[in-house]
Amino acid sequence: MKPYRIGAVVVRHAYEARHNLDRVTDTLYWPVMDIIVWGFFTLYLARDNRLQPGLVSFLLGGVILWGMFRSFQRDMAAGFLAELWSRNLVNLFSTPLTVSEYMTGLIAVNLIKALLGTLAAGLVAWLCYSYDIFPAFPALLPFMLNLVLFGLAVGIVITGLIFRYTMRIQGLTWSFTALLMPLSCVFYPVRSLPKTLRLLALILPTSHAFEGMRQAMAGGGFSAGHFVWGAALNAIYMVLALFFFRLMFASAQSRGLLVKLE
Amino acid sequence: MEVEQKMPAANTQRSVRQNGNPDPARSREASANGSAGVVLKVEHLSKTFGNFQAVDNLSFSVSEGEFIGIIGPNGAGKTTTIYMLLGLITPSAGDIRIFGRKLVENREHILQRTSFASPYISFPPRLTVEENLTIFARLYGVRDKSSQLSKLLKMFEIENLRDKPVSRLSSGENTRLGLCKAMINNPRLLLLDEPTAFLDPQAALNVKGVLLDLQRSSRTTIIYTSHNLADVEAMCQRLIFLSHGRMIAAGSPIEVTQEILREDRREPALAEAFLRIGKGEPNEAV
Repeated sequence: MKPYRIGAVVVRHAYEARHNLDRVTDTLYWPVMDIIVWGFFTLYLARDNRLQPGLVSFLLGGVILWGMFRSFQRDMAAGFLAELWSRNLVNLFSTPLTVSEYMTGLIAVNLIKALLGTLAAGLVAWLCYSYDIFPAFPALLPFMLNLVLFGLAVGIVITGLIFRYTMRIQGLTWSFTALLMPLSCVFYPVRSLPKTLRLLALILPTSHAFEGMRQAMAGGGFSAGHFVWGAALNAIYMVLALFFFRLMFASAQSRGLLVKLE
Repeated sequence: MEVEQKMPAANTQRSVRQNGNPDPARSREASANGSAGVVLKVEHLSKTFGNFQAVDNLSFSVSEGEFIGIIGPNGAGKTTTIYMLLGLITPSAGDIRIFGRKLVENREHILQRTSFASPYISFPPRLTVEENLTIFARLYGVRDKSSQLSKLLKMFEIENLRDKPVSRLSSGENTRLGLCKAMINNPRLLLLDEPTAFLDPQAALNVKGVLLDLQRSSRTTIIYTSHNLADVEAMCQRLIFLSHGRMIAAGSPIEVTQEILREDRREPALAEAFLRIGKGEPNEAV
């Protein structure tokens, strides 16, 4: 991998952000809007002491972390779709740029975007609702890392599917996380799910991340168990995602789809 | 395989025309690879999409500094061949060697010194001309990006478009931007898919002049597909005529004309040969 080629992918998206308001909207607008809506909801619940202690933290923490996961997954696939929409894919892949370099560049861009979105949401929660997530950051970081890794794995799978099945399935970019949300237990503990669904929830790194987040925010300290489970599941999903992506990319190359995706 | 037999004649003709001195570094590399002078070697290349045979057992080689045209009716396999030479489409069978190395194993090395342009491929529309070219300069690791960009914009007479977003370019301006992109890495092998499409006569003349100058001064090998047969006759020393994925004639424009028309002609008549093939008349396979 050549760092200057990864840098070129980052620069390409930086230029896009400079000219395209949609990119700023994706990065900042939605995380901020989410936190505003949920913030009002927690204020309403808190008014008559209808809240269990710590519930505000769980809700707002869940909104911030889920927003980070969703935007990371979405932007992985959307970054690739931007090349398709602009019919630039053949230009890019007729240079020495490799798929690994391209994906690494996208990951770098999306890490920056996810970090900016999370910071913006955290700042709004602090300024408007006196909810300060920043002191909890050190305890939350391992779980955020797991969320980012799972977002990356899902993003890689969706990008692979778009390579293979073209823009017909581009809607998955925005809709797939919604499918994962109920089982990820963002706002409620895993034990509140029906028994049969609990097993499904526990094979998702996201549910372990949110369980770990709630434990940390409730003052229960760092949950090594949830972190290790999440990391182990992520390792499996990442290997499967990369294998799947290679398969899809090779299939697209063989079927001539790279040049017909335009 | 007939093309292979014609190569020595084409090379002789080429060496008479060429006045430039070969780059010693390039010659050393070619010698080290045991392929002195041969930039591209394609052997038994085939591509099928389901039941459709896009390219059928194509073999040819191209020497350093040659200007080769690949022509044929729509669906003949020209663009599929170009995309296989770029590694964008995986061949069903056959072997591609560029600069003496197998493409499948040396993609990065080969594409570092190969380039491609097509007016049918676009660029991110919101980015300016300069931004787009900067990205490609970075992808190729060009050292002096600024002066290379300025040189190319001047060469293709689009200096005034430097800060213009691609979405506001005309088709012809977009074609010239594609050509600037294709030359940003000083390629040794240049693959051009209809490079004068959408250009007005003045701009087309400029582009053809630049390409011929590049071939003569830098010994760049150029592979050119076009439906503009007058351009092809004027610019290409050697042609490969494809129909239904198969090579049906190869050689100089006059040789291709004679081979397809089966007549002793003194001047190339590619348009006539093209129409003959279009009507499905004899000599459909060599």
